[in-house]
Amino acid sequence: MGPLIVNDIISQNTNFLLAFLIGVGFGFVLEASGFSSSRKLAGVFYGYDTVVLKVFFTAAITGMLGLLFMSLFGWIDLNFIYVNPTYVTSTLVGGVIMGAGFIMGGFCPGTSFCAASIGKIDAMVFIGGLFIGVLIFTEGYPFWETMFNANYLGSPKLNEIFGWSQGFLTFIIILVALAMFWVGEWAEKKFPQEEY
Amino acid sequence: MGRKEISPGRVLIKKNQDMQLKNINPRILLALFVIPLGIIIAAVPENTTKQYKLTAQELLDEVQAGYQYITTDEVAEKLVQKDPSIQLIDVRNSDDYETYHLPGAINIPLSDILSDEYVDILDQGMRLNIFYSNGTVHSNEAWMITRQLGYENNYVLQGGLNYWVETIMSPEKPAITSSNDEFAKYDFRKAAGSAIYGGSVEVTEPAEQSSPLPEVKKKTKKKGVQGGC
Repeated sequence: MGPLIVNDIISQNTNFLLAFLIGVGFGFVLEASGFSSSRKLAGVFYGYDTVVLKVFFTAAITGMLGLLFMSLFGWIDLNFIYVNPTYVTSTLVGGVIMGAGFIMGGFCPGTSFCAASIGKIDAMVFIGGLFIGVLIFTEGYPFWETMFNANYLGSPKLNEIFGWSQGFLTFIIILVALAMFWVGEWAEKKFPQEEY
Repeated sequence: MGRKEISPGRVLIKKNQDMQLKNINPRILLALFVIPLGIIIAAVPENTTKQYKLTAQELLDEVQAGYQYITTDEVAEKLVQKDPSIQLIDVRNSDDYETYHLPGAINIPLSDILSDEYVDILDQGMRLNIFYSNGTVHSNEAWMITRQLGYENNYVLQGGLNYWVETIMSPEKPAITSSNDEFAKYDFRKAAGSAIYGGSVEVTEPAEQSSPLPEVKKKTKKKGVQGGC
């Protein structure tokens, strides 16, 4: 039956409404978990707070398990799930730019809006920078067009690369995530920071 | 977090159990949930609902919904952007292909579509294949055959080459009373045409009159959701 929008079960507008409600919920949870604090976010790079790592990996394994179980029960057709196409060069370049911005600014794009909404001035400055970046990218597109499209791989999935089943890959990722949480908690004890 | 020592004589056993649950490290609690679920999902056969072939009804539904069509505007946009994710496939015979074909198109004549030579091109998950012929009859035939074989990522150029010539190579200037959207579409097509084939770009000014409502096109094509943190 799913995805709802592809199978015309809900209209495009209902889809936007659902996306809006989910977005509001997402923003609320981000804020409530302390993601509007740039010190907390930057903590993952210094080891004193690994909540970012935990939240995103918990989200990933929850999403993987949810999709696979829904597929198993026949609730969703995984063939219709959009898989982001992989452009190796842009991924690497974009990752470095995004990572540098994350360390310097203390936010990622989503959390900067979250923090701006509770009135943090540094987040508003961050958003300003974000828009300048968008402007440079779009206006200068002809300059990086070749690089942007380079090394296109289609939409490969990890399990296809390893030749595993999706379920087995999910199980491995769960084990990896739990191991990382353990390392994260060890780091929090090792590099404690009382107030941030 | 150490477990608190609770004297069994003074508290109910149930409360004692609650306390123990609360005292478990959240990581262990999470592990207790997700590891068994992971084992189950790793053990069950995946995609039990996936069908190799479509039923006649499903194919009819897809044909009627027109899921297979990609408009000339969308293709033009991708060609202008030099998008590497599309592959145009000319299903006409090789003589017609030699005479004229779209930029970057390869030739797979309809009669050879089942040839082993082309399986790797037609059955893959990497590029969007877009079939085209002069009209849409042959390209639709190619699409139906590949779809019935269970191949994905194959689409049909809406209106075929004839419509491509009409819309992208020599778009008709909209009437002066047309809506701004029509003018925008015309400008896009002119610009796309000259970007693909070379030529000058000129922008038309829409008339200052009030215009009829633009057509509403129902979007049914699946569109990707862009994510991020």
